[in-house]
Amino acid sequence: MVGGTPPVARVLAAALCVVVALFMLVPLAVVVASSFSASEFLVFPPRGWSLRWYAEIFSSRAYVDAAWFSLRLATVVTLLSVALGAAAAIAITRHAVPGSEALTGFFLSPLVVPTILLGVGLLMASSRLAGGPGFWTLVAGHVVVTLPYVVRTVAAVLARADRSVEEAARTMGAPWWRRYWHVVLPQARPGIAAGAFFAFNVSFDEAVVALFLRAPGTETLPLLIYSKLEFSPDPSVAAAATLMILMTALLMVALDRAIGLEKVAA
Amino acid sequence: MAELRVDGLSKRFGAAVALDGVDLAIRDGAFVALLGPSGCGKTTFLRLLAGLEAPSAGTIRIGGVDVTRLPPERRGLGMMFQSYALFPHMTVAGNLRFPLRMRALGDRAAQEAKVREALRLVRLEGLEERHPRQLSGGQQQRVALARALVADPPVLLLDEPLSNLDAQLRKDMQVELMELHRKIGLTTILVTHDQDEALSLADFVVLMRAGRIEQAGPPREIYARPATAFAARFLGAANLVPVVVRGDLAEVEGAGHVPVEAAQDGPRQLVLRQEDLALRDATRAGEASLPARVVAIAFHGPGLRVVVEAGPHRLDVLAPPDLALRPGDAALLCWQPGKALLL
Amino acid sequence: MKREPLLLLLGPVAFLAALFVLPVAQVLVLAFDGGDGGPGLAQFARLFADAYHPLVAWRTIRLALLTTLATAALGIPLAYVMHRSGGWVRAALTVVIVLPLMTSVVIRTFGWLVILGRGGLLARMLEPLDLVGRNFSLMHTEAGIVIAMTQVLLPFMALTVLAAISRVDRSLEEAARTMGAGLWQTLRLVVLPLARPGIVSGSLLVFALAASSFVTPMLVGGVRLPVLAGAVYQQVTGTLDWPFAAAQATLLLVLALLVILPYARLGRARGA
Repeated sequence: MVGGTPPVARVLAAALCVVVALFMLVPLAVVVASSFSASEFLVFPPRGWSLRWYAEIFSSRAYVDAAWFSLRLATVVTLLSVALGAAAAIAITRHAVPGSEALTGFFLSPLVVPTILLGVGLLMASSRLAGGPGFWTLVAGHVVVTLPYVVRTVAAVLARADRSVEEAARTMGAPWWRRYWHVVLPQARPGIAAGAFFAFNVSFDEAVVALFLRAPGTETLPLLIYSKLEFSPDPSVAAAATLMILMTALLMVALDRAIGLEKVAA
Repeated sequence: MAELRVDGLSKRFGAAVALDGVDLAIRDGAFVALLGPSGCGKTTFLRLLAGLEAPSAGTIRIGGVDVTRLPPERRGLGMMFQSYALFPHMTVAGNLRFPLRMRALGDRAAQEAKVREALRLVRLEGLEERHPRQLSGGQQQRVALARALVADPPVLLLDEPLSNLDAQLRKDMQVELMELHRKIGLTTILVTHDQDEALSLADFVVLMRAGRIEQAGPPREIYARPATAFAARFLGAANLVPVVVRGDLAEVEGAGHVPVEAAQDGPRQLVLRQEDLALRDATRAGEASLPARVVAIAFHGPGLRVVVEAGPHRLDVLAPPDLALRPGDAALLCWQPGKALLL
Repeated sequence: MKREPLLLLLGPVAFLAALFVLPVAQVLVLAFDGGDGGPGLAQFARLFADAYHPLVAWRTIRLALLTTLATAALGIPLAYVMHRSGGWVRAALTVVIVLPLMTSVVIRTFGWLVILGRGGLLARMLEPLDLVGRNFSLMHTEAGIVIAMTQVLLPFMALTVLAAISRVDRSLEEAARTMGAGLWQTLRLVVLPLARPGIVSGSLLVFALAASSFVTPMLVGGVRLPVLAGAVYQQVTGTLDWPFAAAQATLLLVLALLVILPYARLGRARGA
């Protein structure tokens, strides 16, 4: 931009970029590298290379069950979160609702509240009302956590889309379900896709609420990893973590294919 | 006060050429306008002078010193931005003191004195403690001007300084700029796309197109004698009529013959300015004329803009408000041959 | 057509009200359980009753402050570099800082366990340089917690500050340069003061997130360095002392809200 940036500044800037890139990415790289370790200990660099840990997790009951559970949980959470979140976003952006700013704040408020609080609250409520937490308590907790992401992405997309197309549909006599099917939902599609991505990803990765609401049969994959890290870490944990990273990467590619990665406001 | 000299100045942005080998010499104390349509390179030129961009080739000398490699903070120029670029987090006094602080000019008391002096120059005394957001557009603009002048720079650079003002304020500020220049005599370079502004303020106009200088000279000269069709059209509203010259006659296809000043034979463009044309029912002594028919008449404030057809050619004429003609009427399009130009 | 928005909002509002507001409110109510059937501050008093709990709260705040400073030290310059770089550099840096956010905090912290532990990456690098002994480990240290949390929370600081710096008109920087200010002066006198609201927002955000952090301090610090979130967990699952846990959770909420609220107000003042 401005001619004459002193070379010292350029060098420092480049150094900073390198340091930050390493700082942010090395922890993940280390996890991936550890998953190929041949030995049983989590040391770095790994002593020997092998795929045994991948074989181990695929044949381990605990890992497979946890992975399946996380997948099921994330899917249910995503469906619910998208349904509720998109509805909220449509209401706020497309209809002049009084107090829309407060309403938006309300839907984004779970972002502000520490998840610990939500975990304790749901644990208490489920213990009192249902004898203890279960699958649906966990679903509820995760929907609460992921709802703001969906509302935010769908609202952002709808706010920028052309309102008059929907209004035109109205003036042409379209009933509400036609309007949604042909106008509103297609317009919201990139936001819904991005929201679904976030909801799925956040739910799959979530550990705190899952920990508080842990019950027999509701162990998620991050939770399993967490427990193992606390007590008996071995490279199988790294293998599971690496697969999780891979899944996230694939999801991002799928999202890019679906809508193109212009997701900005994170 | 300093003269300015530019040799072979070029600037490329990737594959796009913004400035293509420009040579220009500006004498000390001149008021120069860089004029042209958007994209012609005038703003790039100014930014190169300021040091905000680095040239791809060429040199810049200010007061005899080669500043091409100097960063902007060492060139000591005064620059006024189109958006004013006033620091919102400082008061007017803070803004004005900034260049003095950066160049470490004098102690605090001396700086305060200069700030007051600069405000007096732009007639904004008493506004030292205001913040920019508390000022009107015109006031902000004057603060920006004062800030560019406060450190007594050798050259003043103005980047479309008046384009954000409404018409009346604009005229007022143009007069003030002229006054200021008369008083201080600072070498000034103004970038504008408004040819009226350039012609009225500057004593040297540089018309630019596509990264090159199309024509440069005193306003009267380039207005009266545009060197190219582009210059003729850009400066003032001119009609360009294709003609074929033979000897001292020009044949206007489909309309007739008119006398012209002696020129080379062959196809040329005849430049006729709107204000040099008149619509009459008979020619006056020495005038050239073509038969024409009135097509449309539009009220234009100080006069009427009349569109006429002479043969297949359409021309715009600036006529007095008491013109008695109506659309469809025939008349003679008259002008003094000396006022017409052949390109 | 006023029915439509109401129908649309019914589901989400009811859901959040029942499964978010109510449970959280319940916790707050429990926190003010006076122990004798009525409301009171008895639970909060217990927080100061011994030496242990104030220590935990203080550690939480201290670590959050250090993390905020570290993310600011890295994040503010990073944001400016991203702002000034065009094209692929800025895009690449955005990917670099956003990508880790897409992975579970458990995984990111896991990486730090391997780096900071005995025989880990850091030890292996520093040992040959004779800077540390053979059993060097930053695990179970506050320094380790801060380092790991800094990596986890850096994106929040960087992106918030980047948004603020991007709103500073470029011509202001250019004007300062033409008036004699060098790069560092321009940064100090023009860019940073104008980006200050963003810096404040980012700092508050990081502080709130760091203070309520659970996984990273638990895994890196272990049981010997508990923070508030960890203490709540211990109370809820271990001693089953729910009112006390509620009080600590409320304290966490207060900490988070205390910092987030001015952040929200600042955001609105700036038209964000």
